[in-house]
Amino acid sequence: MDQDRKTYRLVRLLTGGVTPVLLAGALLAFARLHDGAWEPGVQVAGICRELIAGTTEGRQALFGSCWMAPLPVLFYLPFAWLLPEPVAGWAAFFAAWLFVFWAVREAVKAAGVSGWRIVLAQAALAGMMVVSRQPQALQIATALTTGLALLTAASLADWAAFRRLRDVVATGATGAFLLLCGISFFGPATLAVGLLPFAACGHRETRSRFQAWLLLGWLPMVYTAGVWLLMNRLILGDSFYFLRSVQHLVPRVYLFLPAVLAPGFLLVPALIATWAIDARKATPGSGGTAASALLISLALVLMASAQVYRLFGLGWDTVKLSVCVLAVLMIALARLRQPFFRLAVSLVLFVWLSTLWLGGEAPVSVPESRDQICKEVEDHVNARTQYGRIFVLGYAGLDLLRDYTGERLVPNMDLHVGSQRRAYKGQNLYVLVPRPVGQVRAESVFWKYPDIYEQGAERLLYAGTFGSWRLFEVVSAPTQEQLDEWKKVR
Amino acid sequence: MSDVTGRQGEDHKTVADIDPLELSRRRPEWSASQPMTRPQKAFLVALLAFVAVSFICVPLKAAQGVIAVCTLFYVVSTLYKFVVIRASLSPSAILRFSAKEIADCEPREWPVFSVLVPMYKEPETVKQMVASLAAMDYPADKKDVQILLEADDEVTLAAARALTLPSGFRVTEIPKSFPRTKPKACNIGLHLAKGEYLVIYDAEDLPEKDQLKKAVLAFETSPEKVVCVQSRLNYYNPQQNVLTRWFTAEYSAWFDLQLPGLAALGAVIPLGGTSNHFKTKTLQALMGWDAYNVTEDCDLGVRLGRAGYATRMLETTTWEEACSDLRFWIKQRTRWQKGYIQTWFVHMRSPLRLLKELGAVNFLHYQLLVGGGTFSVLINPLFWAMALVWFVFRPEGVAQLFPGPVFAAGAACLFLGNFVFIYINLLGCCKRKRDGLMWWSLLTPVYWVMMSYSGWRAFIQFFRDPFVWEKTQHGLVKKS
Repeated sequence: MDQDRKTYRLVRLLTGGVTPVLLAGALLAFARLHDGAWEPGVQVAGICRELIAGTTEGRQALFGSCWMAPLPVLFYLPFAWLLPEPVAGWAAFFAAWLFVFWAVREAVKAAGVSGWRIVLAQAALAGMMVVSRQPQALQIATALTTGLALLTAASLADWAAFRRLRDVVATGATGAFLLLCGISFFGPATLAVGLLPFAACGHRETRSRFQAWLLLGWLPMVYTAGVWLLMNRLILGDSFYFLRSVQHLVPRVYLFLPAVLAPGFLLVPALIATWAIDARKATPGSGGTAASALLISLALVLMASAQVYRLFGLGWDTVKLSVCVLAVLMIALARLRQPFFRLAVSLVLFVWLSTLWLGGEAPVSVPESRDQICKEVEDHVNARTQYGRIFVLGYAGLDLLRDYTGERLVPNMDLHVGSQRRAYKGQNLYVLVPRPVGQVRAESVFWKYPDIYEQGAERLLYAGTFGSWRLFEVVSAPTQEQLDEWKKVR
Repeated sequence: MSDVTGRQGEDHKTVADIDPLELSRRRPEWSASQPMTRPQKAFLVALLAFVAVSFICVPLKAAQGVIAVCTLFYVVSTLYKFVVIRASLSPSAILRFSAKEIADCEPREWPVFSVLVPMYKEPETVKQMVASLAAMDYPADKKDVQILLEADDEVTLAAARALTLPSGFRVTEIPKSFPRTKPKACNIGLHLAKGEYLVIYDAEDLPEKDQLKKAVLAFETSPEKVVCVQSRLNYYNPQQNVLTRWFTAEYSAWFDLQLPGLAALGAVIPLGGTSNHFKTKTLQALMGWDAYNVTEDCDLGVRLGRAGYATRMLETTTWEEACSDLRFWIKQRTRWQKGYIQTWFVHMRSPLRLLKELGAVNFLHYQLLVGGGTFSVLINPLFWAMALVWFVFRPEGVAQLFPGPVFAAGAACLFLGNFVFIYINLLGCCKRKRDGLMWWSLLTPVYWVMMSYSGWRAFIQFFRDPFVWEKTQHGLVKKS
């Protein structure tokens, strides 16, 4: 008995402690060799800076976009608060990947897979990240979504296999967190959680408790969505503010929503298989076969979701989905009961094949020199006025201002030219606009002022180009004080 | 506390020989007979003075400080709930014995099991109680049932005398004296108990028939230090009204999730009022219950932990009647919360000694369970009011009280923490297979308001009437 307990503790230490720590450390070391890969995502640090400063822009940025999801920001916030950069970035990276390796352990162990096989699966995932040479795949946002997708898929599979209450809770909770990882995961998370109560309908005993599974499974996601809507209402004055960019980006939005949920059809065969097996059993639970079928189906759903986003021209965030697909498939492979050597060979083969897939993803563009752009813009404005104020727009602006310590440039998440003029009466106002490419197209300024980058807008006159940014001056009638000052100068 | 020595072997006592207040006389430092010690009073006054002076001199900083401390407490409490609920999944969370396991150990010699049933002015429940205990699956000659009745409770005494009590049942009259509390009656019953093991049931309790056998097996298969086994409690009248629904949901979460979680973590367990099974000799050595503490069960749970003993949860249920009348519910909850305050002050008389006896982890459990539970119901109204004011009027003043990280932590507690607490109730109902109650559990925040009202009532009563025992009215289900 004591020996069993000792072995259990050793295995737990190995798979839940030593291996994840070593692998996360190794990934951090590897990522530091690749410039920018360890950084906390494009704008996360900038949002955290504003949140810590307690600004309205920080709160608006946290909830104001379905593309720049809140979860990575909330995850990074304590690190940014407690540690200076770049230590905060390293620590967050390490913690995020620690979470992923822990998720691998949790996803594999329920199938009765033993200690060394779990270590093998963890090492295979780390290997996949290394050999893929895809910096975006290493960012903390990708790590968090991968971990959550693994937990959601595995707990749903375990629910089908064993009908344990803990799996309902785990699926509901991780699905809700996955929803907070951005619009790319809205479909897969909704489908996985949506399937939960229906997966229990095969057996009479669990079918009669449908309302319990419905409430426990769906409530976290419904509540999360509700809180996100409420936050938008309270902070931005529009409950659907975070979704407005979709209307601008997708010409036929009425087709987009069904298309996001359409991959759900891929779950139907696995669901029917689950019912069929479950109905023939004396006790609820359809066993390992149905679990594997569900895992593979969920991987297909993630894959199809990536295709849907590409189809609608929104494919800039599909690296995360691709990593999740590969991770879920790998877990499905690792959960199969097979000899150790065969498992090792098949995982190595899987890692090698995955490089072909991830290698096809577009690499992240090299970041511009933030300090230089800020200095040039500041100098340009200072040369013209000593009362200048420059609003740097959107999430791209928060990233640009990450290391900026002056007062001339200020972030702005929700541009209202009229109200800014009233708020900064007597000052010369400027607006710095990012180039609308990739995810930047989803910034609120582009659905409010669609041609702003090319043509400016009402009361906005072109003032210069700095890297990929364009500066516009807000034109307004001079105040009496300004007129008096000019008279004095003359 | 491990230096406690008992009076084992003092047999053949009569009620007149027994001192039910032995604990408070021999070890007054462990008794709530004195609600607060002088140093505690001095510390409390100094703390209040410090807070008051801070609010006068630097009001904003003081308010920010108080709110930061409270927010930190909420964060820790929420994380703590996560840990406890996660631990309840552990196989060691609850001791399980199937009907087959019980049958397999037959035939065997079962030990004498003492059952104490304290009653006061409950004549209508005597018959049901006797029938319920007589029907328990335990050899009649090994049952030692004492019905503990106050000497001046003539109606219940008459009802008991009118019955022909089965063999092994007896009525013990409790002489009239101060304080008139349940633990004082139980202490007399404990001294007169003949059994190797002992359990307490309330008059309206309906324990599962094989509970005593399961308790015996639990003691026999557990390590020596396990001296108490707590059965799960639940209600048989959840559908009576909305209050009983909420109450049942709360009990399901407490006894089916949180207490098993605490047991799995090896934590101090605040015992439930009834259906806690003890090794009689150990309980006698600990001098029984504190007659001055209105939640003597919670206090005893802590004293067991301090003495180095352990409590385990047993998978068997005792069905009780949920209080269905709001007035009586508030009185009952006031008593419970006042008892928690009493218990916290009793054991915090020398915090370092408590830390040494319980260990750091259990000390933290104690603070969060006993102190934290009451603290949260007291501060909740303040934070609800601030949240409401902020949502409706958006005043700058409220925002100033929550600087950056405190705002983030506060928002997380508001949106995540409160949800977690509701979800735990849902889980409890689901685990109990009370699916219909889950929808009602979504309205739990209303129940929290009632708890906070009772909490403040308890807090005031602790200073004004520390020993007043507001008795729970039973039998309402029949009347309705």
